[in-house]
Amino acid sequence: MVAQDPMGAGRSALSTEAIRRLLAAALLLGAAILVAVSLSAAWLVARDQEYTGWVNHTYTVERHISRFSVLFERAEAARRGYLLTHDDRYLVGYRDSATALPKELEALQALTGDNPRELAAITELEPLLSNKLNTLEASMRAAQTQSMAAPTDAATLEEDQPLVSQIRELLARMVVEENRLLQIRTERQTANADLLLAAVLTAGALLAALSIGAVILVRRYAADLDGSQAELRSVNEGLERAVAERTADLTRANDEIQRFAYIVSHDLRSPLVNVMGFTSELEVSLKPLQALLHEVEEKAPSIPLKAAREAVQADLPESITFIRAATRKMDRLINAILRLSREGRRTLTPEWLDMGDLLGGIVESVQHTALERGATIVLESPLPTISSDRLAVEQVFSNLIENALKYAKPGRPARIVVRGLTTGSGCAFEIEDNGRGIATADHERIFELFRRSGPQDQPGEGIGLAHVRALIYRLGGSITLDSELDRGSTFRISLPRTLLRDRDQTA
Amino acid sequence: MNTHQPVNIIMIEDDDGHARLIERNIRRAGISNTIHHFTDGTSALEFIFNGSEGPILNGPAMVLLDLNLPDMSGTDILTRIKSVDKLKRTPVVVLTTTDDKVEIQRCYDLGCNVYITKPVNYESFADAIRQLGLFLAVIQVPEVTE
Repeated sequence: MVAQDPMGAGRSALSTEAIRRLLAAALLLGAAILVAVSLSAAWLVARDQEYTGWVNHTYTVERHISRFSVLFERAEAARRGYLLTHDDRYLVGYRDSATALPKELEALQALTGDNPRELAAITELEPLLSNKLNTLEASMRAAQTQSMAAPTDAATLEEDQPLVSQIRELLARMVVEENRLLQIRTERQTANADLLLAAVLTAGALLAALSIGAVILVRRYAADLDGSQAELRSVNEGLERAVAERTADLTRANDEIQRFAYIVSHDLRSPLVNVMGFTSELEVSLKPLQALLHEVEEKAPSIPLKAAREAVQADLPESITFIRAATRKMDRLINAILRLSREGRRTLTPEWLDMGDLLGGIVESVQHTALERGATIVLESPLPTISSDRLAVEQVFSNLIENALKYAKPGRPARIVVRGLTTGSGCAFEIEDNGRGIATADHERIFELFRRSGPQDQPGEGIGLAHVRALIYRLGGSITLDSELDRGSTFRISLPRTLLRDRDQTA
Repeated sequence: MNTHQPVNIIMIEDDDGHARLIERNIRRAGISNTIHHFTDGTSALEFIFNGSEGPILNGPAMVLLDLNLPDMSGTDILTRIKSVDKLKRTPVVVLTTTDDKVEIQRCYDLGCNVYITKPVNYESFADAIRQLGLFLAVIQVPEVTE
């Protein structure tokens, strides 16, 4: 298919653009989710650590409480043991526990500084403990002074029983409180962990969804690209075909024109030969007439001959001169057309041309004329190397250089500069002179056949530049002109770096 | 037996003006040989091959040939003449308006003896024709000795 739906191409391009935008958005969103997940995870982990700390704190408090109750029970037991047995080992055990107990209470107080309930319990515990310890101390001392044989009675042993139960109750309350706290804190920790898991899972799900979306988008994008590439390829092929067809048409038209020019110029010469030939015949016939006139004038001067003399001696020769000049001119023009058509039919054979060498050769061939006129020709090196038809390129450049020499500004020595450079797939050349220049109105005209510009003080038929342009077109190039009257002209030529082999070879 | 036979000039030229100019110049050069003028290729070939006064049946000849003829190309006539034993030594002078090198070479390749372009510069053309008169005098020699 050559004809393409332009709307289709447009739509495809639009969706491609949309896909590109969507992809970028997806990537950005993914990155944002990752950042959010990382931040929340960090925050949740920090919270988890904090909660763990609190749980551990509870455990520590509980440990202290239990140690406190163990010490308390041990002190009670040791006293009881001592009072019953008066064994000194119990006394030592009692002293250890009794001194450790207030310290333990202090530690507990420090640990539970944040909890008013526990503090209240401790505050309550403190006077009870010192009261109890005092009681114990007193009973111990009493026991020491009493006789070893008399054991302490049960009443003494049980006298502070309410105090003990009070302390025990308080301690139990503290443990309950700590357990309550532990439960709350553990619950919080679990909730936090759940939250962390939920956050990670949500992020994972989001990322997965995004990835799937991105993959779908990319696949669609790739499919679109493939589609548009195929489209482009087919358009290109169609274009190439169209170009080939046009080229064939042009070649045919060009061939036709060339043949036409050839036939016309050829057949025009035939009648011209007659005109010229019979003009000469007239001239030949004129001679005996002139001789006759002369003889009559001498021998019979009475015959009036004024009109005849004028015709034979002035008018006829003048007419013949004009006919001859006109014919000559016509012959030159026909020859020019013939030459152009022949040039157009010539097969171009590309070869590698070092333009420096080629232009050097041209300069050498015009050096004599240049010296005579005091002109300088400068070739600015480096000049590129191109693949083209030698004869055609030579004709182009020698024509332009000769023109530059020919149309120098009188009274100003000509200076002609030729430069060239490679531009991508082509080469650009400039031929610059400081000659008499060309009026802007004539910039296009001078490339036409038989057209000239400026004062007609130089020989020529107005063929050179037409020839040059025809040649350059055939070589696949173009020529433009920059010129200002009295300042000089610059002809700019662009030629392909490599001339394609001639496809339009004439049959 | 041909020793004293004069050379016939066969002029094949479709342009009457050119023919007249050529004839005048030939006469002016002092050549009085018979000139047979044909304006197309068919009748010229008919005369050359079958004419009772034609070169095959009747003596030596020289051919003045224009390349642009209405019914055939001059080179066809040239080929025909040069391919026949009895005619291949007949001098052929090609007279045409073309100065195309390729065509000139082709004519020489086909056996043309002289190639003269019809220039608009009449004097040089007349000169060439007068040279032809001298040429005519020269070619009679081998014919005589043969």
